[in-house]
Amino acid sequence: MNLVVQTLADGLVLGGIYALAAVGFSLIFGVLHVINLSHGILVLLGAYLALILSTSLRIDPLLTMPAVMAVLFVVGYAYQRLLIQRAVDRSPLGSMLLTFGVALMLQNTMIWVFSPDMKSITPGYALASFKLGAISFDAVRVSCLLASLVMLCCLAALLKFSALGRVIRATAQQTLAARLCGVNVRHVYALTFAVSAAFAGASGIVIGIILPFSPADEGTWTLNAFVVVVLGGVGSPAGALIGGLLLGMVSTLTAQYIGPSFPNVTMFLLLVLLLLVRPQGLLGNAFAPSR
Amino acid sequence: MTLHSKKATRRRVMSALGAAALAAPAIRSAHAQAKTIVFGGSVPLTGAAAETGLNVNNGYITAVSYFNDVLGGVEIAGEKYKLELKLFDDASDPARATTLIQRQIDEGTNFFLGSFGSNIVLPTAAITERAKKPMVQTGGGSDAIFTKGFKYVFGMYPRATRQFASTAALFKTLTPTPQTYSVIWTNDAFSKTAGQGVKLSCDAAGFKKLDEFELPAKPTDVSSVLGSVRANTPDLLVCVMHDQDSLLIARQMVASNTNVKCLFQGLGPQLASFREALGKYSEYLMCSTYWDESVPYKDKFFGDSRKFVEYYKKKFTRPIAYHTAGAAACIETYILAMQAAKSTNPEAVRDALSKADYETFYSRIKFTPDGDGDAIIMGSMIGQVQKTKLEIVFPEAASSAKPLYPQPMWDKKA
Amino acid sequence: MTQKPAAFVAVILGCAVVLALAPLVLPPFYVRVGQLMLYSAGLAVAWTILGGFAGYASFGHAAFIGVGAFAAGLAEERLAGLPPALLLPIGMLVGGLACAILSAVVAYPILRLRGTFFAIAMLGVCHVCAELNNNIDALQGSLGLNFPAVAPAAWDPAVFFYELYLAAGVVVFLIAWQIQRSRFGAGLLSIREDEDTARMLGVPTERYKRIAFVASAVLTGLLGVIYAHSLGYITTDSVYRDDTNLSLIVYSLLGGMGTLFGPVIGAFTLVFITQVVLARLLDFHLFATGLLLVLLVLAAPGGVLGFVKSWRQRRRAAATAPAE
Repeated sequence: MNLVVQTLADGLVLGGIYALAAVGFSLIFGVLHVINLSHGILVLLGAYLALILSTSLRIDPLLTMPAVMAVLFVVGYAYQRLLIQRAVDRSPLGSMLLTFGVALMLQNTMIWVFSPDMKSITPGYALASFKLGAISFDAVRVSCLLASLVMLCCLAALLKFSALGRVIRATAQQTLAARLCGVNVRHVYALTFAVSAAFAGASGIVIGIILPFSPADEGTWTLNAFVVVVLGGVGSPAGALIGGLLLGMVSTLTAQYIGPSFPNVTMFLLLVLLLLVRPQGLLGNAFAPSR
Repeated sequence: MTLHSKKATRRRVMSALGAAALAAPAIRSAHAQAKTIVFGGSVPLTGAAAETGLNVNNGYITAVSYFNDVLGGVEIAGEKYKLELKLFDDASDPARATTLIQRQIDEGTNFFLGSFGSNIVLPTAAITERAKKPMVQTGGGSDAIFTKGFKYVFGMYPRATRQFASTAALFKTLTPTPQTYSVIWTNDAFSKTAGQGVKLSCDAAGFKKLDEFELPAKPTDVSSVLGSVRANTPDLLVCVMHDQDSLLIARQMVASNTNVKCLFQGLGPQLASFREALGKYSEYLMCSTYWDESVPYKDKFFGDSRKFVEYYKKKFTRPIAYHTAGAAACIETYILAMQAAKSTNPEAVRDALSKADYETFYSRIKFTPDGDGDAIIMGSMIGQVQKTKLEIVFPEAASSAKPLYPQPMWDKKA
Repeated sequence: MTQKPAAFVAVILGCAVVLALAPLVLPPFYVRVGQLMLYSAGLAVAWTILGGFAGYASFGHAAFIGVGAFAAGLAEERLAGLPPALLLPIGMLVGGLACAILSAVVAYPILRLRGTFFAIAMLGVCHVCAELNNNIDALQGSLGLNFPAVAPAAWDPAVFFYELYLAAGVVVFLIAWQIQRSRFGAGLLSIREDEDTARMLGVPTERYKRIAFVASAVLTGLLGVIYAHSLGYITTDSVYRDDTNLSLIVYSLLGGMGTLFGPVIGAFTLVFITQVVLARLLDFHLFATGLLLVLLVLAAPGGVLGFVKSWRQRRRAAATAPAE
């Protein structure tokens, strides 16, 4: 019994982090209809920035979050305006390839700048743990889970209540109508991309604390985001959260009861099956109602 | 969705063509002049194996520049030769690796250095084998490479299943004698064969296996495996996988307070970055290492291991790894074989390599008839982290410290 | 294309004969590059039967390369005693059959998805196959699988595989051509342009899509079998490659999506650039490849053939315009 609960708890913790890592990907897919294959790079960029800032300023890595998010916000805005915008209205394949090309270039650049070595962010509490009843929790994973949940709530609130959020939603639902109402669609696209990049960066910090990382990992995080979004549904933090938690629990349950090497099999099997049953994801497309 | 594209304007296409033309450098480069020995081959400088790739590449560069700049070239059968490297990035793609290795053969490259990963090394070795050009490599340890009857392929390490003989021998010397072990590997060709090797050697040495775990090639969470380890705790926990995954396991072991008497990690604790990341918790961890700055061998060219490291540090700031030394030793082994053969004819050099018994700063070099490193002479040493430094604890002849066993609980490590 | 069929086939076969003789004069490196060009072009044309003609762009065709290669390899391992001349055909038969079964099973549910979702689901299929192949020990994906040397002793294996790829490529090309000019091909085209309308007009869209999918998968699998033999030893990482999944799309985008010659032109061009022009790059090879993709998307979104077409149209427009 304990083992089941422990496995589920581990899965939930992992899932929350997957959710944060995927939410930016989901937003871009929902609003711009672009599959951003450079998403994993943005995640890693966040991790490297946090590493540099936290070691040079000697502060807790989670405290670097505002700075990292600000940098990635700017990077994301510029990236969209300068490159993606040129391909955004063409075929979805074109924009996908564009982001893939950028991912290759940036991976190579990261190898030059940061070396191909694995790095890790190690705050003071990195290796602590605590127990609740018979279930033991990894302190750093739990604090990262909390950070993820807070960030997801912030994003949900931003989309729901702020002026920016309203414009983003309007653009996603009826691009033409939004444009007629005087929305500068390019600007909104770029802002969406910037917000997504900022959240990718935030998740990078969390991931960097939990897992060792190196430039070659970007593919893993892009692929994970892919799966999470397909499972949960496009465009909303809630969808990402559902997808992430589902993925996390399926991973740990498979590892425990089928075999430690099988999580990826079940992950992609689940992806295919869910696409067949419910292509719009469990929560559907957040922007779909009026499409 | 329609895949039909919109119109392309002429200007856009022209600018693309212009860019392509600019990106095309001269396809042919000047062919090596006389009295230059060219070493060809590929290294993975991008992708998952890039870290090792960079270490290996630095080793090649160190050796070549030492021979050229410090010694002014090497003398073979009374003639002076300069050395030259011609390497490309294979990005771990076998199609690319096989195509580009052929170009080097066409251009007259006679001596090859290997890439990383048996699915690259084997197809490329099949081509160099057919062209009767030797390949001395540090990156492919899988048994498959050495059981195909290739005559021109040599490896600096024993094949994967033989790499753990010395590890098991060390375990035997510990007191109180450990009784049980469990083994964890990741699901890639190298780690999986190594896992088989661990089982072979440990079973032969009389340890009782409790569990074996196979992780995916890129694990992100090992809590379930560690749960099983806590439920059924072995004396020895052996992990064979790449360093990034070793670090993940060690960190989660600490965090979940999973204690064993000895944690042995094939790859990981050798690296300064690994020890730094784990801090005080890296104390007592054991690993295999094929070389260390302190090894006692004498070298005809470099003098000894320390002098090699000194020269390396003049050229690079990157911490040195055993792969770097192994790569430099590949080139030195070639040179020694050429001097022994008194020739730079590839077939003569291969015959000399097969008879090699040289002492280099790296180790004694002697290959088995199948081409892999001799399991005893070129087998691994065992290192243990003691007071943040990696000390050699086995074999006794090369050891710099006594092995410490059992290791304290994680929360008692100060 | 409105050529006379007999003349068209004659021209294609003529080109094939010229290409077949090329290894006599080419240095071995270019024979290898030729191998890779023909292999990639074959894959690209097989992909385009589904992705180009019917508009169902698959992002997971490497699944069939892998399944074909491993099915063939495992079968040949069990028949190791037979003469090599028999092993390759048996391997191709088994590999093709495995792909046919897999694609027939997958086709029914997965072709209900459209556009991006179909592409993603195929990526999922590819990864499921790769992971199963890697994790089930009997399939030998992680330890690797050896392939028998099938080239006749008198032949240089590089030339042998070159000719094999050429033969396979010509077959794939002619099949695709035959499909394109048939009623079936017209049906696929109508699916690409507007699937719902096509169905309303009585095109058996479901059946057509499934046939195109299976044909595309089997041809891809056969090429995968040859590829595995040319390497001699494969692990899952050798065949289930995400960069292959992407390259297949890039070939069509570069040459011209939905056309027959486009994928061939795209494959030849891209292989030449990456293997010959960018070959010597050591530590920025990845960067250069990425830059190439970015430039391609930004500068020539219609591919080479798209450019030629629009140029022709403009000329025609200019010719028919009233003189000043």
